[in-house]
Amino acid sequence: MNENHATELSAIEELNGRYLLFNCSDMLYGVPLVLVLEIIQTKNITYLPGVAPYIKGIINLRGKILPVLDIRLKFGIEERPYDDKTCIIVSEIRDMQVGLIVDSVSEVVTVDSENLAAPPNTKEMSAWYIDSVTNLEDRIVLNIDFEKFLKDDLDVIKVQ
Amino acid sequence: MSTVDPGMESMLETFIHETDTMLEQLDEILLESERARSLSEENINDIFRITHTIKGSAAMMEFDGISNLSHAIEDVFYVLREAPDKLEIVFDSLFDLILESSDFLKEEIGKLQGEADYQEKYPTILIDKLHDQANFLKGNTDTIVLSETESNVDTEVEDDENTYRIRVFFDDGCQMENMRAFMLLTQLQHYCDLLESIPSHPENDSEYSAQIIKNGFVVICKPTNSLEEVLKTIEGVLNIKTYEVLENSSKKEAIVEEKSKDEKSSVVSVEENEAAAKGTVTGKPVTVKTGGVKQSLISVNQGKLDYLMDLVGELVTAESMVIRNPDLNGLKLDNLTKSIRELRKLTDELQDIVMSIRMVPLQSTFHKMDRIVRDMSKKLGKKAELVTEGGDTEVDKTINDTIVDPLMHMIRNSMDHAIESAEERKAAGKPEVGRISLTAKNVGGEIHIKVGDDGYGMDPQKLLSKAKKNGLLTKPESEYTEKEALHLIMLPGFSTNTEVTEFSGRGVGMDVVRKNIEQVGGSISISSTKGKGTTFTIKIPLTLAIMDGMNISVGDTIFTIPITSIRQSFKVTSPDQIIENTNGTEMIMLRGECYPVFRLHNVFGLETELTDITEGIMIQVESSNISACIFADELLGEYQVVVKSFPMFFNQYNLKEKGFSGCSILGDGSISLILDINNFLANQ
Repeated sequence: MNENHATELSAIEELNGRYLLFNCSDMLYGVPLVLVLEIIQTKNITYLPGVAPYIKGIINLRGKILPVLDIRLKFGIEERPYDDKTCIIVSEIRDMQVGLIVDSVSEVVTVDSENLAAPPNTKEMSAWYIDSVTNLEDRIVLNIDFEKFLKDDLDVIKVQ
Repeated sequence: MSTVDPGMESMLETFIHETDTMLEQLDEILLESERARSLSEENINDIFRITHTIKGSAAMMEFDGISNLSHAIEDVFYVLREAPDKLEIVFDSLFDLILESSDFLKEEIGKLQGEADYQEKYPTILIDKLHDQANFLKGNTDTIVLSETESNVDTEVEDDENTYRIRVFFDDGCQMENMRAFMLLTQLQHYCDLLESIPSHPENDSEYSAQIIKNGFVVICKPTNSLEEVLKTIEGVLNIKTYEVLENSSKKEAIVEEKSKDEKSSVVSVEENEAAAKGTVTGKPVTVKTGGVKQSLISVNQGKLDYLMDLVGELVTAESMVIRNPDLNGLKLDNLTKSIRELRKLTDELQDIVMSIRMVPLQSTFHKMDRIVRDMSKKLGKKAELVTEGGDTEVDKTINDTIVDPLMHMIRNSMDHAIESAEERKAAGKPEVGRISLTAKNVGGEIHIKVGDDGYGMDPQKLLSKAKKNGLLTKPESEYTEKEALHLIMLPGFSTNTEVTEFSGRGVGMDVVRKNIEQVGGSISISSTKGKGTTFTIKIPLTLAIMDGMNISVGDTIFTIPITSIRQSFKVTSPDQIIENTNGTEMIMLRGECYPVFRLHNVFGLETELTDITEGIMIQVESSNISACIFADELLGEYQVVVKSFPMFFNQYNLKEKGFSGCSILGDGSISLILDINNFLANQ
């Protein structure tokens, strides 16, 4: 029991500081790898009438039904037809599995904590879910906090 | 101890389950006796047994409040048992008090169940009242002398041939040795003609624990059949380290057997015949009737059942994945078809048995209603009786749990608003005692529950004007049929009683009842005759998880319509059959009746190339009160689907009210949306 716990902890530690980078509308975003369960292709999304437009529907992930959101629409930018590179990042947020559609995923990077910068201190609401900014050699990565990103959706959920 | 030790969790579960069942029994006995206005000896013994068991197991779990309260009840009945004729003096107050105590216990059990950090409440007032009651009874009786705390350690048991002394030692540090010793006694009594122990009543004082640890617990018994049987029972009891048989009075050590037992998580149940064990307290020899009925019931964690159900669901899905595998298309496979048929039969059977495991009779729910009628008729000063029928009808546990609240609400409503006072009833030429009936019946795949009363009845005209006042009418008043008017009471914001009473009218009304029932896929309808009474009919499906549905497609989307909602499907041969209203709504004439037509692609904004009404398929569906036609692309066939609820993420969108009761995974892994025809039609 204790051993299990220890290996589990070390596994989480291993993931710490690692980020999955993905593209969305020419911008590079990062999400902590610990939160990512898996990356799957965008197919067989079942349209669900009567929900917010950025919710593209539901998918069947090995017997589990997950909601799928288009990250572009949620950002408030224009939709783009899905292609081979489009994929769904399945993430667990507040004990719920949610799929997020992104333009493409690029790579996993390890970021030292000194390379993390505080987010821009703007009053603009669109940036409030940016957790931190990473400065990679030639690129800037905005690290998203999914929980804050989906706060509007999550807060209204009454646990029945 | 105020918090629960995590190590005791599985024992706690058993405790909750047992206590719950026993409290229900207690209520049943009390109500029955109250109606008969007498307590039979058997009933007193039953009550005695119940409270005693609760006391014992609560003490073991270290819930002082529950234990002491049960003890106090037990005291009262102890006196009553000795002097049953005193009952008349205290009848009403006694029953109120005991029921109140039972409520307290139930509340505590409920808290234990629902709260992670249980804080015990100590029912000082109740216990004091019970003590007063007991003392009062005692004061009134001179025939009995109550000696509750006997400590006659040396018991006199004849040492004849067949009497054995067995010394038992419990595991080191297993705690509560005195209670364990007591439980051991309880188990042994089934096998012994005579049973005594040193110390004689270990359950009375936890001080005995130390003594038991030091000297062991000595059981003196005269086995009914054989010593082996007794020893086997001792072996079966938890936490026993060693035991030895001290032969007869010579106390020669005969057999020394050592046994180390793995601690099992299962809890020894202290169920039956404890009253008899208590009987030994009075020092009388007791003959124990085991009744010869072996209990063949086991209690299973509901989580496991849910999981089993899920698995069977997956199995059904996987099965159709195989059977309808596209690779098999166009092949002639006679043997496979035969095997498939065999498999189908087995899975069907498996499904049936799993469903039946989850079925519980409605009886206990009905008994709860009994209690409400009793309490309310006392408080409101109305006379009423509850007549139940079909309590043995079984429904899925989940459904049973969901309908308790609605039923309670409806019965309260009937008592509060429908049943007249005795004088009014007399004046109206009705029997003085009002009658509320609660019946359940299995009709096809549905359960019909009827809640009826013979009270005022509802006046559609009054309801209409009230709805008008509250701005709830959606069409001119004159257009409402009587039935529609009655159904107005189920709209949110409609309450027939403006005054808030203790029992009803607290802002939650029939709309909540309807919502709860619809949550489990049921429907509710009302019929009422002014002056004669009102009857509510609830129709609920037998089970929730698996249903027969017709799959239809609209564009890329697949919908499942429950077979029970479909009346027929047909093709429209010529566009002339469709009557188009100027506002764009379409209708169709079928056998002289006119039905609205809903095109699914329009309703849900789906893309499809098929918009010609003659090319698609028309499905006539009906809900409890509306019938209509749905237009879709094509029929895909009849399937058994496993109903899955939508992810919590969608809670805010109220998909249920929009007409989707859930979704289902089809054989090829795609998802179909299950249409809830009631809600779908209500929305159009």
